[in-house]
Amino acid sequence: MGIIATSRLKSPWIMHFDNSSCNGCDIEVLACLTPLYDIERFGIVNMGNPKHTDVLVITGPVNRRTARVLKNLYDQIADPKMVIAVGTCAISGGVFHNCYNVLGGVDKVVPVDVYVPGCAARPEAIIDGVVMALQKLAKLQGVAL
Amino acid sequence: MLPYNWMMAVAILLPVVAAILVYIIRQYHVRGVIVILAAIALIVNSILFLLHGKGTFSPANAQMWDMVVTVLDYLILLFYIYVGISLKNWLVLIFALTQIIPLAWFEFGMGGSAALAKIDPTFVVDHLAIVMCLVISIVGSLICVYAIRYMYDHEHHLHLEKSRASRFLFWMVLFLGAMNGLVFANNLIYLYFFWEVTTLVCFMLIAHDLTKEAIGNAARALWMNSIGGTALIIAMILLLVKGAPLSVNGILSGGVTSAVLLVPVALMCFTGMIKAAQLPFQSWLLGAMVAPTPVSALLHSSTMVKAGVYLVLRLAPAYAGTKLGIMIALVGAFTFMAASGLAISQTTGKRVLAYSTIANLGLIIACAGIGTPLAIAAAIILIIFHAMSKGLMFLCAGAIEHIVWSREIEDMEGLAAKAPLVTVITAIGVLSMFLPPFGMLLGKWMALESASTIPLAAWLFVIASAATIVFWAKWLGRLLQVLPKLGSKIEKLSLSYTVPLWVLVLGIFGVGILVAPIYTGFVQNAVADVIASGQALAAQGWGLTVSGVSAVSSTANFVVGNYPVWPLFIAIAIALLIPLIFVGVKPGELRPVYLCGEQAGGPDADEWYSTADAKVKVQLGGYYFQGVLGEAALNPWTYTLSIVLMVIMFAVALLAMGGAL
Amino acid sequence: MNPWIIAIVTVIVAPFIGGILAGIDRRITARLQGRFGPPIIQPFYDLFKLLGKNRIAVNWLQFMWIYFYLVLMITALLFLVLRLDILLMMFILGFAGVSFALGGFCSKSPYSHLGANRELMQMLAYEPVLLLLALGVYAQNGSFMISQIYASSTPLIARLWPIFIALLVILTIKLRKSPFDIATSHHAHQELIKGVMTEYSGPYYALINLTEWYEIVLLLAIVSLFVANPLWVGIVIALAAYVLEMFVDNIAARMTVGWMVRFVWAVGITLCILNLIWFWVFAAIKGVS
Repeated sequence: MGIIATSRLKSPWIMHFDNSSCNGCDIEVLACLTPLYDIERFGIVNMGNPKHTDVLVITGPVNRRTARVLKNLYDQIADPKMVIAVGTCAISGGVFHNCYNVLGGVDKVVPVDVYVPGCAARPEAIIDGVVMALQKLAKLQGVAL
Repeated sequence: MLPYNWMMAVAILLPVVAAILVYIIRQYHVRGVIVILAAIALIVNSILFLLHGKGTFSPANAQMWDMVVTVLDYLILLFYIYVGISLKNWLVLIFALTQIIPLAWFEFGMGGSAALAKIDPTFVVDHLAIVMCLVISIVGSLICVYAIRYMYDHEHHLHLEKSRASRFLFWMVLFLGAMNGLVFANNLIYLYFFWEVTTLVCFMLIAHDLTKEAIGNAARALWMNSIGGTALIIAMILLLVKGAPLSVNGILSGGVTSAVLLVPVALMCFTGMIKAAQLPFQSWLLGAMVAPTPVSALLHSSTMVKAGVYLVLRLAPAYAGTKLGIMIALVGAFTFMAASGLAISQTTGKRVLAYSTIANLGLIIACAGIGTPLAIAAAIILIIFHAMSKGLMFLCAGAIEHIVWSREIEDMEGLAAKAPLVTVITAIGVLSMFLPPFGMLLGKWMALESASTIPLAAWLFVIASAATIVFWAKWLGRLLQVLPKLGSKIEKLSLSYTVPLWVLVLGIFGVGILVAPIYTGFVQNAVADVIASGQALAAQGWGLTVSGVSAVSSTANFVVGNYPVWPLFIAIAIALLIPLIFVGVKPGELRPVYLCGEQAGGPDADEWYSTADAKVKVQLGGYYFQGVLGEAALNPWTYTLSIVLMVIMFAVALLAMGGAL
Repeated sequence: MNPWIIAIVTVIVAPFIGGILAGIDRRITARLQGRFGPPIIQPFYDLFKLLGKNRIAVNWLQFMWIYFYLVLMITALLFLVLRLDILLMMFILGFAGVSFALGGFCSKSPYSHLGANRELMQMLAYEPVLLLLALGVYAQNGSFMISQIYASSTPLIARLWPIFIALLVILTIKLRKSPFDIATSHHAHQELIKGVMTEYSGPYYALINLTEWYEIVLLLAIVSLFVANPLWVGIVIALAAYVLEMFVDNIAARMTVGWMVRFVWAVGITLCILNLIWFWVFAAIKGVS
């Protein structure tokens, strides 16, 4: 069990889902994958498929349509999983929070583990958020990070 | 043990009697019992032939039987003329005339009758004939049993007022007797007679449904096979002119040294190739697919077309090592490749099976052409396994047709949920056609190991092998595409369907696992009866080994190839048993397929939300590549090249004969 | 050595070698892209993490086909280390590939349907070259047995170098590297999500990865057969081929299915047939003189 717990911390695969963001945070998330920040050295890979991921990275505010899609995708991810809400819009709706179709932040639909604020969130903050998620997972499993 | 003349009578005449009884008695259950009893009799009889071994037979009242054969010959040909005139099909009429006129001249004008009367023995039973008899009796009888229930459902579905099933079963059962006679015949006029009976039965059965398309396709089968009949008569005339004996044994005893016999041999091989639907004569077999499925299973995959390859294989010693042999191998290999490519583009299940049959028959003919002991052994192994696997596939296609009421592969999607039992049996059939460790792959492996003497044939085999993977896996895949749902019920099928299906499955596995002892105990004798010299395979250790002489060191026990039968079956048993025993899926574990999160409903949702939240059905389509591999794209090439190959085949035989004279 | 011991050692050791090679692959790819890249043992972390996921499934059949894929790949590798018939080994490898494609077919999923059909097209492209390779081995050694390759004094590459080049072309397909990573790819999620592997998750995705490690060892072992004596030269050539594949992967873009089949047939089959024609001509001349 120890080796599996350690491996979970060393190989978090992410899926990045954009609710209805302006794409600012999405670009910052993708920037993390580029050679400048290179999160693959932590074993993080961007898989496009919920059945292959451990961490769901969500940007943008939730509206009625994407709520349905987000719930669907969240259900298709196998346990154990973590959810990271990136950007102010994903946390609370941001500048769009009082639009007629916006339901608010992502935690209206799925349980969130880590909130990464910013508009747009900086790559350093996103990496910090991922590390915090891993620390949370380590504590849940009773293993040292 | 029966006396030999009784065994011959059961093999050839019992089906005639049973057929007449089936025609007269119209009651469904009694008729079914007669078919089953005839089937049991034929199967037991063929096993008696196996136990008896080689033998010869001439009927006691030879003159009377010769007269019967002659009269029936002319009656059949007159019937063809009648068919040609009444259908206004001039090709049928012409090729019936090209048979009846030369036949009359041959028998009465040239003294053929007298020469034929001197042929003794009339029937020769060697191990190759016994192999064919077993295949015909066992696989053929199972298909007739299947046909009992199939025709009932077929006519029910068509809402026919008056049942014509008796007529159907009459021709099916009669056919078995004709095939037995064909493989035992030594006297060429008897061979010709049984050959024509199979053509007649083929015509009657393809036309059975009496639609315009069925009658047209039956007529095409008739005139193409009549070309073969004509070639056979011309071969007999040439043999008489050369003073050669008019019997199969007589042709073979001459051996390779008699190059003068190459043209008649080429003509007889040509006849066999037409019956085996080799390119460019494949359209009759494709057209025959409109007939009810038992017809396709019996005639056009496991039995009648085997008569064609049987004749080519039987004549192998006559052309072994000659340029004619090389050309026969190339005709077969080219058909194997072209038909496999064309099969990828077919959207109807039965046409895929038809092209696959044509391809495998091409492979068998190519092995006969290559002519080494290993190649002949490959041909016989392929005959046995192809009859079982392809028979099973056609019976499955018929069962599927009676579940989804369509022949299109696209309509068979998701059959694994609707009809799990038939899907499992079909999957076994498909996998046994082209994958190790099953017998068809063993035959293909043997063919490739022996093909290096004719390199072009080996390269065509290789390309064809790759193509066969595509169309089989593609079809099986479509059957397996199901939505995430647990608990599909196993469907109920009539015994008349399930018994033949399971017997064939058991046969495929049983004969496949025991192929090494079956080879050394029995098939090897058949190989020796065709080619007198050389040992092809030895059963060693876990399986079969090909030995040869090393070019470098000439050690006696040089291993060229090795096929471990048991370990491979154990491997797939492990692969199958681990998930069956240890893996189960609980309902809570089911998830929907990935549709980008847009699925409308639970895991078994069949719809997704498109623009404006409109629900759209999930639709998948198979790949058929009709622009590149379709008949319209490939047929100009395949017809041209295959006609060129046939012309070269005859030219080579004529040149050799001219050189010898 | 006792064949049973060889078999057991192979089955246990090969995944380790395959995993390290996969890790080296990711590391060198990262360095070529100017990044650091994950540690070399990263594939093992991935494997154990996947084994620890809860199982989710779309149906039962997909498990069965993955077990077929794994068992048959191990069988093919055992054929090679036990030095059996190379032609039969290619057919077993073909069965493994078909099992994988059927695993992709067995759910009504658009992406895995697409991937499975493309997987069959990949097999159409590379299967002739593998079979012609076996025929080439027979043409040179007079035998299909791998034991004869090791016993012979002339290395295969001396007379079968065109077939070796064709093998390198299809190695790109088998290792799923650009330009031929068409059925399933690390980089193509926008086009086909994960292709054949889309509907697999957790432990079964781990089994697919494990089978791919066996496959890497098997393919590099086939490459090493071309210089069988001394064995270390063959292994060096195999590793050099693997690094070459990584370079090709990073230079080339993904191409289309049709282009792949046409290219591999035009280049691969032509090279193999020219090679075999040379043998035939050579034998014919030797027979005449």
